[in-house]
Amino acid sequence: MMHFFNPLLSHWATQTGPSFWLPAPVSNFADTVDGDFYFVYWVSIFFLVLITALLVIFMMKFKAPEGQKATSQNDHNLILEVAWTGIPVILSFMMFWYGYKGYVAMATAPSNAMTVTAEASRWLWNFTYPTNGAVVPGASEDFNEIRMGVRDGSLTPEAAAERESKVLEKAGLHVPVNTPVKIKVMATDVLHSLFIPAFRVKKDCVPGRIGELWFEATEPGVYDLLCTEYCGQGHSLMHSKVVVHESQESFEKWLEVAASYDETLPFEQLGEIVWKRKGCVSCHSLDGSNKVGPTWQGAFGSLRQYTENGVAGSTTVDEAYIEESIRYPMKKIADGYPGQMPVVKLTDKEILWVTEFIKSLGK
Amino acid sequence: MNPNDQAPSGSEVSSQETAKVAPETTESGPSYLTVTKTFASWALTLDHKRIGLMYLVGVLGMFFLGGVFALLVRTELFSPMPLITPLFAADPGAQADLYNQWFTTHGAIMVFLVIIPGVPAALGNFVLPLLLGAKDVAFPRLNLSSFYLWICGAAFFIYVLFSGGVDTGWTFYTPYSTDTSTAVIPAVVGVFILGFSSIFTGLNFIVTIHKMRPKGMTWFNMPLFLWGTYSTAVIQVLATPVLGITLLLLILERTLGIGIFDPQNGGDPVLYQHFFWFYSHPAVYIMIIPAMGVISEIISVHSHKRIFGYRYIGYSSVAIAIFSFIVWGHHMFTSGQSTVMNIIFSGITFSVGIPSAIKVFNWIATMYKGSLTLNTTMLYGIAFIFLFTIGGLTGLFLGVLSIDTHLHDTYFVVAHFHYVMMGSALIAFIGGLHHWWPKMTGKMFSEFWGRIACTLVFIGFNLTFIPQFVMGSLGMPRRYYTYQDKFEIYHQLSTVGAYVMAVGFFMTAFYLLQSLASGKKAPSNPWGGNSLEWHTPSPPPLENFHGVPSATDPYELDHFDYDPVTGNYSSRTTAGSA
Repeated sequence: MMHFFNPLLSHWATQTGPSFWLPAPVSNFADTVDGDFYFVYWVSIFFLVLITALLVIFMMKFKAPEGQKATSQNDHNLILEVAWTGIPVILSFMMFWYGYKGYVAMATAPSNAMTVTAEASRWLWNFTYPTNGAVVPGASEDFNEIRMGVRDGSLTPEAAAERESKVLEKAGLHVPVNTPVKIKVMATDVLHSLFIPAFRVKKDCVPGRIGELWFEATEPGVYDLLCTEYCGQGHSLMHSKVVVHESQESFEKWLEVAASYDETLPFEQLGEIVWKRKGCVSCHSLDGSNKVGPTWQGAFGSLRQYTENGVAGSTTVDEAYIEESIRYPMKKIADGYPGQMPVVKLTDKEILWVTEFIKSLGK
Repeated sequence: MNPNDQAPSGSEVSSQETAKVAPETTESGPSYLTVTKTFASWALTLDHKRIGLMYLVGVLGMFFLGGVFALLVRTELFSPMPLITPLFAADPGAQADLYNQWFTTHGAIMVFLVIIPGVPAALGNFVLPLLLGAKDVAFPRLNLSSFYLWICGAAFFIYVLFSGGVDTGWTFYTPYSTDTSTAVIPAVVGVFILGFSSIFTGLNFIVTIHKMRPKGMTWFNMPLFLWGTYSTAVIQVLATPVLGITLLLLILERTLGIGIFDPQNGGDPVLYQHFFWFYSHPAVYIMIIPAMGVISEIISVHSHKRIFGYRYIGYSSVAIAIFSFIVWGHHMFTSGQSTVMNIIFSGITFSVGIPSAIKVFNWIATMYKGSLTLNTTMLYGIAFIFLFTIGGLTGLFLGVLSIDTHLHDTYFVVAHFHYVMMGSALIAFIGGLHHWWPKMTGKMFSEFWGRIACTLVFIGFNLTFIPQFVMGSLGMPRRYYTYQDKFEIYHQLSTVGAYVMAVGFFMTAFYLLQSLASGKKAPSNPWGGNSLEWHTPSPPPLENFHGVPSATDPYELDHFDYDPVTGNYSSRTTAGSA
């Protein structure tokens, strides 16, 4: 009996585009969640219409001038009380039951699922793929730039799409279609939450805990990935994309390219790629403006006041200081900044490139 | 269902020896407003009516302030690009910080300084002893001290505004709240103090209702507003200390790093969420249960009909109060709480919906075959039923585990709790304010402007929050300073709605203030109510009643004659003495 309604109600969910209420359904959970949604929705609409109709009819029918007596003083009816207690009890049990069934499926990943790690920091995502240890950035900064570009007219929709696919070559959460994928979520600083509306999945990223969600994407394409747990200044900019590849082969090919650097490029340029890819970009500007961390413009060779274990000190920004600041970000906190830099694991080469990049930004 | 649970019929109650109509009072002598006039006579008053009125002024002032921040937030969100924050800060990061402080300030002020004290402390203080035919609450000094604690808490909030604000959201979630450089500690101290204000009020009301009911008033003969305030008071006394302890631990974490909530010191941020919601979920019912009590009075009195299903409404208040303690985990379905816990909390959550549904149906049944006076107060009552229905039904979506996974922390949640906290609790507060305004001030307000303002508030409210349901389920997360272009139209509708609502509230402020200056004099019983506050002059004398009243049947509403000249309802049996 409990399963009777769901196939009927899933009818509303079996469309591919976004509906008035819900985004396009593109994961194995979407039909269940949307079916549950529309079950509650139509029950709610029924009661809302019923109650509104009663209110309006009573307002019209029993409206009376001051002083007129009510035509009845009846104040109880056991059958009515039983009915309007019993019917909500039955309906809400059904809702609970559907939600429970749907949720248990979401909470239990199949054992053959591919595992990807999603690590949230203020205000960036990093995705780690187990097969070759590739760390791929969320590239929120790029997606926001593209959004702003479209907004102010400096990017045509075509140019924006082109730029987006360029960025996605080395960024974003990539998964093959019709393959169970398990995302291990974690956070390095404060709470975040990983939300993919098109997949109907969400999980909080809690520092000190490893969370988990899973899904099977059903439609190749590019979808939004958002942070839904408030995390401060850049919360609304923690925006990345999920790319669903049309095959396992295309996914694997992408992964190979994503993990590599084009080492024929000059060090400064490689450093700029690291700056973007590893998320330095969200806190360190290149134009002299101060964000959460000091700007890199003219930083190299300048004098820096800092606090180390509560003791004030100063140093010239040189190669050694940069390397130390990357490896042990909380050791020397530059004065005037909150000291919120996460440990970003860079290879020795990446540190070298970043240092050359900072050098190139002038004294 | 126990068949013995039937509500008492009118004939049963009125046949009781003691439950006769109270003596009508004469309107001689000064009222509580005029009996003394010095500043000290107000500042140091032990009179529950004056304390209630001072609370009212304070709460409405804070409502204005919280409303200003709401408008700042909504104005900023009219566009996904920076719109008004650049007027206050040049740096893009600082602009986002400013927005975060605005929504935090809006939420914290509205929750802790407006809605929680709104109905119980402002309206409750004024009305509760009157409903009991008592001279005052059980502990008048405690009552005054709770008001000064409220002032003290409010002062901390004002201090926070001038010391760089706070940007954690009203929930103060760790580890963000232990990490941010904004003024978390003053804000938390403010909330801590407000908690004691709330506990004092609750304690006072529990004792007053237990010990000071008049001769002949049994538990099942009390006006339902008292059932509401009583259930609320129990939650205030039991749950608020947990919030106090949690906030103290948060302060210790921030100052000493004791490592209970901060994962860097081995603490657990999810533990904070458990502690916080163990109070803050019941707090939702601290807001809504007394509001439901107000609505029970309004619907019955302005329908001139006995309340339908008295016992069911009364019991459902108690049921909601009890269930409210065991559903807190539904705020944490995506937090990493275990699957079994989620299932249990989801199941219990639905049990809260049932008593709420029972109340709604009983209110509607009360209107059936009534004699409905569609004045401003009644319009607010009916608006409440509609808005609370939406608030309750959308809560069902969030209780269903699979759907909540999608909707959690989106604008759908924002819209849902605004329907409950503002569309229901606050609308009931405004409705109650109109219901008891003649009694409090001795003046009648303009019905014409009242109905227009109520309509504007109603339309504006729905225009503000219905688009938020849609964008939420489409995937718009909450607490976002900027957003994707596809959500722009919903945000714009929402902002327009907020301004319509603001116009309605400003109109309300003007005609209420105008009534103080030149309103018609209020008769003792302008609506035809039969609870005891309508059996004393408007405004009441210092000691509430001339003589000692005995209990009436509060819902026996058909023995009044209306006098169109004075606008008074007088009971037929004592009409000559009025």
